[in-house]
Amino acid sequence: MASVAATVAPLSRARRDGVEWRLASPLALVYAAFFAAPLLLLLAISFFDDTDLTRVGGSQWIKFFTDPFYLSVIGHTLKLGAVTVLATSVLSFPLALVFCASRTGVQRLLLLIIIMPLLTSVVVRTFAWIVILAREGVINQTLLALGLSATPLPLLQTEFGLVLALTQIEMPLMLLPLITVMRTIDPNVLDASRALGASRWRTFFQVILPLSLPGWVAGSTLVFASSVTAFISQTVIGGGRLVFLPSVIWQQSMVVYNWPFAAVAAVTLLVTVLFGIGLLGALGAHFARR
Amino acid sequence: MSSMPVDRRRVLVGAGALGAAAMLPSPASAKGSVTAAIYPGTWDEAYRSIVAPALKKAKDVDLALEPLFAVDQIAKAQAARGAPPFDAFVLDPGPRASAIERGLFEKFDPSKLANASKVPAGFADAHGIAVNTQIVGIAYNPKKLPKPKSWKDLFAEPYLSRLGLTGFQTTFGTVSLIEISKAYGGSDTDVEPAFVEVKKALPKAAAVMTPASLPGLFQQGQIDICYTNTNNVASLKARGVDIDFAFPEEGAITFITTLHIAKGAENIENAYAYIDAALSAEVQAQLMKPPSSMIPTNKDVVLADLPIKSLDELSKMKTHDWSKINPLRAGWIERFNKEVSK
Repeated sequence: MASVAATVAPLSRARRDGVEWRLASPLALVYAAFFAAPLLLLLAISFFDDTDLTRVGGSQWIKFFTDPFYLSVIGHTLKLGAVTVLATSVLSFPLALVFCASRTGVQRLLLLIIIMPLLTSVVVRTFAWIVILAREGVINQTLLALGLSATPLPLLQTEFGLVLALTQIEMPLMLLPLITVMRTIDPNVLDASRALGASRWRTFFQVILPLSLPGWVAGSTLVFASSVTAFISQTVIGGGRLVFLPSVIWQQSMVVYNWPFAAVAAVTLLVTVLFGIGLLGALGAHFARR
Repeated sequence: MSSMPVDRRRVLVGAGALGAAAMLPSPASAKGSVTAAIYPGTWDEAYRSIVAPALKKAKDVDLALEPLFAVDQIAKAQAARGAPPFDAFVLDPGPRASAIERGLFEKFDPSKLANASKVPAGFADAHGIAVNTQIVGIAYNPKKLPKPKSWKDLFAEPYLSRLGLTGFQTTFGTVSLIEISKAYGGSDTDVEPAFVEVKKALPKAAAVMTPASLPGLFQQGQIDICYTNTNNVASLKARGVDIDFAFPEEGAITFITTLHIAKGAENIENAYAYIDAALSAEVQAQLMKPPSSMIPTNKDVVLADLPIKSLDELSKMKTHDWSKINPLRAGWIERFNKEVSK
């Protein structure tokens, strides 16, 4: 505790002098110019009634939020993020446990496998999933050859196929923070749990899970934000029948030229992502208190 | 590191000198330059490697290409209010009609071009000139399906369960759905019959695609038939995919891609030189080869590996009035989304 107090004292002095404010100002200026300003511009554009940006008004917002179709698009987008978070969570916990229990050499190998999806380009990943999921793809060829199915299963252009692909693509974003936090858990705590007679499952649910929650919250936040905005995977693997907010933005801005409406969709997507992240954060805080 | 002290004043002087240097006229290496907007991807690559050297050789003019989608070209030209960031546009009929409406083109005089007389009648006007033709019809896998005859075949077996549908996002999708409507009793502005057929087809059709995923899905056998342009067919065929083009009996569709000079353009003469170079028989013959596979508009080019034998065949195909389509298209795109969404 002494070392913590030692570092805190100079920091508070620095705060009094306003030094850290000046140090952060270049970054703050860059953010203001290249992030906050365009965002305000986006918000401003959404308040035009016509595509030539001449009449100010809220009609685009009214249209977006009174049309059941666009409300359902928001719902689908949120659901896609939630389901992907769920799928990556279920798969990540066992893998993270295996990772933490492994020897260093095995850990290195696992780490390479885990980050592999991040090392391939999004085009390659997406096309690979078409090859795997298509009617004449790897899965269907195998099922047909084994006689497990008489006709090819529809996998591509379905929600199941999309979630499957996104789960693989987003896995590293869940696993890396989870492993980082899990490795800091004191092994003595687990031994204590075991010694006090708790089963392996009970140890997992009552000791490991709560202690690794900060990692899960961080991972879920990344996975949610990334899958909800994964435009290429959503359009190519999901197809035309699954409409999510990013494709609405693309269509309205690039094809229909209705920038105000696209801006409404973009702001909505931003708020949707923030809402999801906020919810995950609150969930994490709630469980952490228990 | 103390031998070269860098203080604020020195840096400022240095920066000032750099700024001044940038303002000096660059040494004239050519007779001038022209900046042309170009579609990203195939168009950009083809024009960079074929048109730019041809223009340099013929007129000693440097061609700078700015890759921009049609919507961006119009947005940038409009935002610039008379001082456009490029000298020439490349546009499909839809954006062309809205650019004319907004008065973004310099008046175009085809007689300034050596190659203007080589294009078919109706391909040049006071707005611009056509450099590329697209033909839209039915693409199918000849190993899996018999040759389709009509637009209506798409919505009946054995085709329906292999059909890939796309919406109104692309020019080819829009005109195909219009012609499908007409086959079922609709018109250029009434696409209701197409929506009825699409809705009925949904449970059985192989896919509802985004246009960008069309090549991949065809290649992987997810779909075996769709409406598309000959460019897509040619580029897939060049990659060894089993794909052929069929003319529907109701008539295939054609539309032109046109070049235009931007209103207030800096280098008008060079822009004419650029357009003339893009129209020359030599350049167009090269653009016709894969991977660009563009159908020429210069009648002197000997057509090869194309579904048509002569440019005269184009005059029999269906064309569309985009000044009527444009106001309706946003509504159609939205309606399509709603009809197909699960």
